[in-house]
Amino acid sequence: MIKIRGKFTKENEMIFIGHLDLMRLFQRCFRRADIPVKYTEGYNPQPKLSLATALPLGVTSHGEYFDLELDRQIPIESFIEMTNKFLPKSIRIIKSQYTDDKKSIMSLIRWSSYIIKINLENTIDEDVLQKELDDFLNKDEIIITKTKKKRGKIKKRDVNIREFIKDFDIFSFDNNSVIFKVMLKTGSTGNLKPEDLIWAFNNYSNLDIIEDKTKIQRLELFIEEENNITTPI
Amino acid sequence: MINKELLEEILPKVEKPARYIGSEENSIVKEIDKIEVRFGFAFPDIYEVGMSHLGLHILYNLLNNEDSIYCERVFAPWVDMEEKMKENDIPLYTLETKTPINELDFVGFTLQYEMSYTNILNMLDLGNIPVLSEDRGENDPFIIAGGPCVYNPEPLADIVDFFVIGEGEELTLEVLKTYKQWKKLGKDKKDFLDEVAKLEGIYVPSFYNIEYNEDNTIKGMVPKNSKYPKTIKKVIIKDLDKTYFPDKIIVPYIETVHDRIILEIFRGCTRGCRFCQAGMIYRPVRERKVDTLVELAKKLVDATGHDEISLSSLSTSDYSQLEELIKRLIEEFKDKNVGLSLPSLRLDSFSLEFLDEIQDLRKSGLTFAPEAGSQRLRDVINKGIEEKDLIDSVEEAFGLGWSGVKLYFMIGLPTEEKEDVMGIKDLAYKVKDVFFSLPREKQKGNLQITASTSCFVPKPFTPFQWFPQNSIDEFYDKIRLLKGEIRDRKVKYNYHDPKLSFLEAIIARGDRKVSKAIVEAWKSGCRFDGWADLFDFNKWMKAFETTGIDTDFYATRSRSYDEVLPWDFINTGVTKEFLIKENEKAIKGELTHDCRQGCTACGINQSFNGGVC
Repeated sequence: MIKIRGKFTKENEMIFIGHLDLMRLFQRCFRRADIPVKYTEGYNPQPKLSLATALPLGVTSHGEYFDLELDRQIPIESFIEMTNKFLPKSIRIIKSQYTDDKKSIMSLIRWSSYIIKINLENTIDEDVLQKELDDFLNKDEIIITKTKKKRGKIKKRDVNIREFIKDFDIFSFDNNSVIFKVMLKTGSTGNLKPEDLIWAFNNYSNLDIIEDKTKIQRLELFIEEENNITTPI
Repeated sequence: MINKELLEEILPKVEKPARYIGSEENSIVKEIDKIEVRFGFAFPDIYEVGMSHLGLHILYNLLNNEDSIYCERVFAPWVDMEEKMKENDIPLYTLETKTPINELDFVGFTLQYEMSYTNILNMLDLGNIPVLSEDRGENDPFIIAGGPCVYNPEPLADIVDFFVIGEGEELTLEVLKTYKQWKKLGKDKKDFLDEVAKLEGIYVPSFYNIEYNEDNTIKGMVPKNSKYPKTIKKVIIKDLDKTYFPDKIIVPYIETVHDRIILEIFRGCTRGCRFCQAGMIYRPVRERKVDTLVELAKKLVDATGHDEISLSSLSTSDYSQLEELIKRLIEEFKDKNVGLSLPSLRLDSFSLEFLDEIQDLRKSGLTFAPEAGSQRLRDVINKGIEEKDLIDSVEEAFGLGWSGVKLYFMIGLPTEEKEDVMGIKDLAYKVKDVFFSLPREKQKGNLQITASTSCFVPKPFTPFQWFPQNSIDEFYDKIRLLKGEIRDRKVKYNYHDPKLSFLEAIIARGDRKVSKAIVEAWKSGCRFDGWADLFDFNKWMKAFETTGIDTDFYATRSRSYDEVLPWDFINTGVTKEFLIKENEKAIKGELTHDCRQGCTACGINQSFNGGVC
């Protein structure tokens, strides 16, 4: 197995490209860059490409990951250079390396860090905000309702997201605009979307967050090995 | 430029925001201050539909090849986006530079189907451009239109400033060159219209008065000034092989209706089916050479990264070098995971063998279009296929492992009787019998036959242009008959909405008065009429009532040969005498042979040269 693990960014207008469309975009670019991509067997061959997580629409990211299998080894520098040549400017591969990891990148991801910028309806003092944040994080239970579509039926489920919040700090403060830095559970062992966190914070506190104006940036994805949190590459 | 920050705020809240962002691979960026003419190519439907249209890619690249011209794209926003744009005062904008469309020099609509007309009005309104030509001022863009529906431009006469009739690739360039000269002179818009009216293929509706008889039929069309032409002759591309075809096309981020490379192999069709407008208006047949096509395919695959090439024409099997072309394309792309698809293929031994080769095991469905259920009626429409051909083909297809067959028919064709309608059921059942008469071990897969009927809409410039459409009730009677008769687990029956076809018939053969009803329907909230979930028949009927339009006059009335038809002033090259002769032969059930087997005297080679006939 010849496998490349790569890290890429997704910014500007590219934040409106969904997960499946992003997969197709990569496939076209690999084709144009003449990357010797390995295809699945069968009558509808698909490239062996997997993305670490589905980034929500509208979210900028500086740390997305993919695994790509190749038919033969090529120099990693030319892989990056050729693929970047055909990718849109707002998607860049910034790091890549060959890996022997049998596990898929998708199953490894545990945490995501984000920068979240919110706007408040009214001006408040920073210590009021800090108090609200402390109260929020001191709760044992923070419940949100997750809706899932399963075979056409809508299923609702209450989830306690408290343990999915690792860090939630004020990064900067300017009257009615606040920037937070957060670390949230991501992946198959539990998942919390930043917009759900903001929704919960708005609901559980006395703040008036204008949710429409929220801007989210993912900074990095993390894996966890023996309680040691590190980046995938 | 529109407020981009505001746009970024609303985009996460709408379905498929990538429809509205532009910046795709091969889209063109130019510096605006170096541009002399700004052209908006407007497709009156959503992004995914418009981006699948080959004409857009041709004109977009052709115009942008000129340094002084910037052609940008404009699509109809889906209803969720429309609502957000209105709420936030964002005018309709071009995808490339996010410029409000009322700042352009031209907005050019392509008319692919009548049911998109209300979208044109809606788009103009969203772009803060008055919908009626007469209400637009010196600073508004020129609103122009082209495409197959402009062969009867009259229903949009009040809305569009001028029409480009025929294959407008080269003519549009000519128009824009004229514009550059006119702009330097500083004269008024009327002066420019006077200039373009001199070009062959340009029709300026405001230069003509229509006089009516007492029975509402047309008495005549009178130019307001003797310098304006009495007839408008369509323009064609004489040598298709040498004409422009883009070697790079925009690659959408999201999946579109046709998510692949479209390779136009020829224009026109020699079959002469009597219901088919495309077969008449796109004459003469002109082919591209195999070498040209293979070369284009290579460039397009390199420039897009697409993994499928689709051959496009009205009837793929009629391409004179088809076998050679397919062989060369397969050879070229066999190691690159690039597939080939062939729509509009006549299914015979040759094509089935070929499809067998490229489709592998995914033998999901084959589509046949007998169009009519009985041999008699197939002869009336000059379809030229025998029942035996169809039965032989499906037998071979079942033998090769296919198990899904779709059969397309029309109901309401001229001279249709109950037996003809029942013939639809009979044919579908015969196809089923073919399957079960095969030896057990050859019955592969799960047989599913789908018979679909659409409601026949008589179109201008066809031999059936005088024919009364069936009434909605007649259509429903026929549908009920088939629904009642087709009762078999293996045979499924689908049908189109007769109400939509009725409306299509009114507009397709409409005159200038119909313009008023279109405006009224749009004012009452109609748009995206081609989308079943948004089509509001009652609003349309109300609009016709308000504007005093008798719908039956347009849809279900039989015209006489000597009546002046609203589109008579357009010369497509096919003569009225030929259409009359064909209509007479139709009624008698006489066939007319394919014109590749000898000239059928339609008139096209008298007025145009350049085709194969």
